[in-house]
Amino acid sequence: MTVIHFKDVTKSYRKHNVLKSMNFTIERNVITGVIGRNGVGKTTLMKIIAGFMEEMSGTVEVFSEKPFNNLRVSANSIFIDDAMAFPQAMTLQDILKECSRFYANWDGELANRLVDYFDFHRNARHQFLSKGKKSTFNAIIGISARCPLTLFDEPTTGMDAAVRKDFYRALLKDYLAHPRTILLSSHHVEEIEDLLEDVLLVQNGAIRFHGAITELQEMFIVLTGKHEKLSRHTVGKEVVLRDTSGPFPNWTVANSFTEAEKDQMVADGIIISPVSANNAYIALTNGPKGGIDDVFDRTETV
Amino acid sequence: MLDMDGSKPIYVQIAEWIETEIIDGTLGPDAKVYSQYKLAELFNINPATAGKGLSILLENGIVYQKRGLGTFVSPDGRDKLRSRRKEVTLRRLIQQLLDEAELLGVDDHHLQTLIEAERKRKKGDSE
Repeated sequence: MTVIHFKDVTKSYRKHNVLKSMNFTIERNVITGVIGRNGVGKTTLMKIIAGFMEEMSGTVEVFSEKPFNNLRVSANSIFIDDAMAFPQAMTLQDILKECSRFYANWDGELANRLVDYFDFHRNARHQFLSKGKKSTFNAIIGISARCPLTLFDEPTTGMDAAVRKDFYRALLKDYLAHPRTILLSSHHVEEIEDLLEDVLLVQNGAIRFHGAITELQEMFIVLTGKHEKLSRHTVGKEVVLRDTSGPFPNWTVANSFTEAEKDQMVADGIIISPVSANNAYIALTNGPKGGIDDVFDRTETV
Repeated sequence: MLDMDGSKPIYVQIAEWIETEIIDGTLGPDAKVYSQYKLAELFNINPATAGKGLSILLENGIVYQKRGLGTFVSPDGRDKLRSRRKEVTLRRLIQQLLDEAELLGVDDHHLQTLIEAERKRKKGDSE
């Protein structure tokens, strides 16, 4: 069953086209990572899905309905980010109580256990929490609401490493027990890659890649070895990233090698390793500019 | 247990972990293998990814599925794994050994004595 469907969706702020032509479909109960460089329109995309913003043209369907100003979509989805504002007069306890009234699937017991685990004072006020604590509390709401469509936009902003790890673990455990459709955006792909089933990679206002995270990883391989050997074996191949830091250069190359070619490379002393989703993502979004080392390299033209 | 730095795709590592459990006898013939959800929880990964690990074993006939009941170790799963490891893994290790020996100028006779010495040392350790 399809939960989200975008067809030729555009959105601009004044003259700046943020979303140029978005086309994708997200199926039910899949955890999708929304990834992309800063300012590519991830937040805009998620806010349109949540119905906080209206698209300018094209078709957006969430649960088969247009999400903007839509009560059914609002009742079945939750959007979590670090800018969530709650009425100033409410304590954390009050907020939890209101959530239980609004969200049909709200798990109050889980919310309470998480609030205790992360050492919140129930009488504290949301606006006076530290940045990391705010994010943690918002994340607790996002998990406990158990909405059929759950959107997390950079949920771990300000959280320390231990809390981030706990949050992702909590999200996975609750998802296993209560599967639902989750969209999760993060700059830290390496942190979320194990949690994801699919990746929606946004670049230049369009979808650069949408598919299984394992598929993304298999688009590239990393070759480590001496420079001249790497050059010899990658004739006619697409080298997307040349990392010259470390004792041996390692090159990220589009995975178009036959098994025989791989065997030859291994025999020649080249180490072949798969790329992490994070490096595949960097390779895909770097484009023809090359890596940071190429900026400093004035001798050869890339 | 798993090598999370990504030198192998995580689902391949899951498949290899289950293979090791079968080879060392922890999972006997017709024993029930962890479900993809249990594996997801154990290794803190997406259940779809864990499912890919099980698919590898399924494709190779190491495990079989019973509808609605789960995944189980094939009666000949262990034998298949052992012969494959002998053919593939052991061969690769020997290749690496020979490459390294060649690089260091260690001839076959020297290599033989090194293997014998190591075997003795290991015996001594276990006694």
